[in-house]
Amino acid sequence: MNVLGMQTLFAKEVRRFMRVPGQTVLSPLISTTLYFIVFGYSISGRIQTVEGSPYLHFIVPGLVFLGIANNAFLNSSSSLFITKIQGTVVDLLVSPLGPGELMAGFIGGAMVRGLVVGGLTWAVAAVFTGFSLEHAWVAAYFLLLSSYVFSVLGMLAAVWAEKFEQINFFPTFVMLPLTFLGGVFYSVRELPSPWNAISLFNPMVYMVEGLRYGLLGRSIYPPLMGGAILAGVAVVATVVTYGVLRSGYKMKA
Amino acid sequence: MSTPALELQGLTKRYGDFTALHSMDLSIRPGEIFALLGPNGAGKTTMIGSVCGLVKKTAGTIRVFGKDLDKDPVAPRYDIGLVPQEINFDPFFSVAESLRIQLGYYGRPRDDARIDEVLTALNLQGKKDAMTRALSGGMKRRLLIAKALVHKPRLVFLDEPTAGVDVELRRDLWTYVRKLAADGTTILLTTHYLEEAEELADRVGIINEGRLLMVEDKATLLRRFGERRVVVTFEHPQTALSEAGRRFAARLSEDGRTLTYVEREGCAPSGELLRALYAEGQPIADVETRRSRMEDVLIEVLRGRSQAA
Repeated sequence: MNVLGMQTLFAKEVRRFMRVPGQTVLSPLISTTLYFIVFGYSISGRIQTVEGSPYLHFIVPGLVFLGIANNAFLNSSSSLFITKIQGTVVDLLVSPLGPGELMAGFIGGAMVRGLVVGGLTWAVAAVFTGFSLEHAWVAAYFLLLSSYVFSVLGMLAAVWAEKFEQINFFPTFVMLPLTFLGGVFYSVRELPSPWNAISLFNPMVYMVEGLRYGLLGRSIYPPLMGGAILAGVAVVATVVTYGVLRSGYKMKA
Repeated sequence: MSTPALELQGLTKRYGDFTALHSMDLSIRPGEIFALLGPNGAGKTTMIGSVCGLVKKTAGTIRVFGKDLDKDPVAPRYDIGLVPQEINFDPFFSVAESLRIQLGYYGRPRDDARIDEVLTALNLQGKKDAMTRALSGGMKRRLLIAKALVHKPRLVFLDEPTAGVDVELRRDLWTYVRKLAADGTTILLTTHYLEEAEELADRVGIINEGRLLMVEDKATLLRRFGERRVVVTFEHPQTALSEAGRRFAARLSEDGRTLTYVEREGCAPSGELLRALYAEGQPIADVETRRSRMEDVLIEVLRGRSQAA
């Protein structure tokens, strides 16, 4: 295994997004903070508590999840896609980096960005709501694994995409609706029928609820369920991405 | 006999109905400079891409220093360096950072002395800390070459490394390529500048339409397909071809002022013709000779191929 090659790619990925922190860290942080202020303050006046938590507290785990998922995905997808467009993917394909090393480098870098943005969102929220961490291991599991899953999915999207339009397809048409319908700003139990039933098929619901359990100590679904779904998605995404990279699909002529 | 640096057996690449490489067999000796020549679309880049992991071959075997890429597609790549045809650069990093990253990809620790050595050889030392996006086109090309060489590969592919660059870089690169070869690096070069192949190569392969038409020592190739054209200008126009001219099958121009003799392998040396002309007492004003170059050889081989087809 080319450990140094993997470390180099990881360090390069982290340096790449740290070169433009305004775009990669500050901008998503401001967006998520605005969600917090606008939704939180406008709605918390009318809704006192949701599932036993004050509304402002209730939305914090979802916003942290949103920051992690979006930024982990964007980092791996944009970075790998740009190497394809710029032609620097040649450096990666010619060098002795196998699919495992490539995944570790890109996913590691993307996870760091997702966790940095998620962590800062959490810190900003703590200013308004106070710091809350009820089950540290559960929270750590959901933070790490959700950043991992979306980093892998981002990589997969970058391998598949051939145009800029395609690279935006997944975040716009899949992630955004699923996240907003995933109980970030409300309890899915309060949705009218049939939306509450449909929500049961949205994996984001369980991921958000799992993190909510870790941070606030309560959730509408058992965290084990969310944990299992997240682990399942992680395994499938990993196997598919490894296979795709190994086959050279859309990477090699 | 030593293990070939690169060995291709039946290398085939098809894109649907189109065959880019037709069962190519080739063996490159360690330490040699091999020039692969052919027109655009002949299959040169496809062949290099197949070895370097950029193209998925359809069939055949590729061995790099005896290691079969089908059995282990990763380990042989430690020994490979590629200067691709298209310029690429990562705008987020400086020249030195790009080279450090490249070293890391090949499992090599940071080595600033090696980076300085390569940058100096390619006349890029002054741009070490410049961001890659700020480099001129020629400098980006130099960086591309530096990236391919910084990890000291034993087998280097130079895919049109001097396309669109100034004479200075071309000369710098030639000097460096000779030094690399002298140090034992094997080099496979594709180029449209046939002067480059003539200047550098030990052996030449000619490829067209995905078929390797010929592999020959450069000197043999030039001798076999090359020719020396001798043009004799007389002081006074000649009315007819002299006895010596007829004997050597030379050609007299319409105005009778010049006599042209084409010397090919197996023909009488042009010196004999000149001696015969002097013996005939023809006053000669000038003698011009022109030896055919790689370009003529390439045209000759490709023409032969198209006529055969």
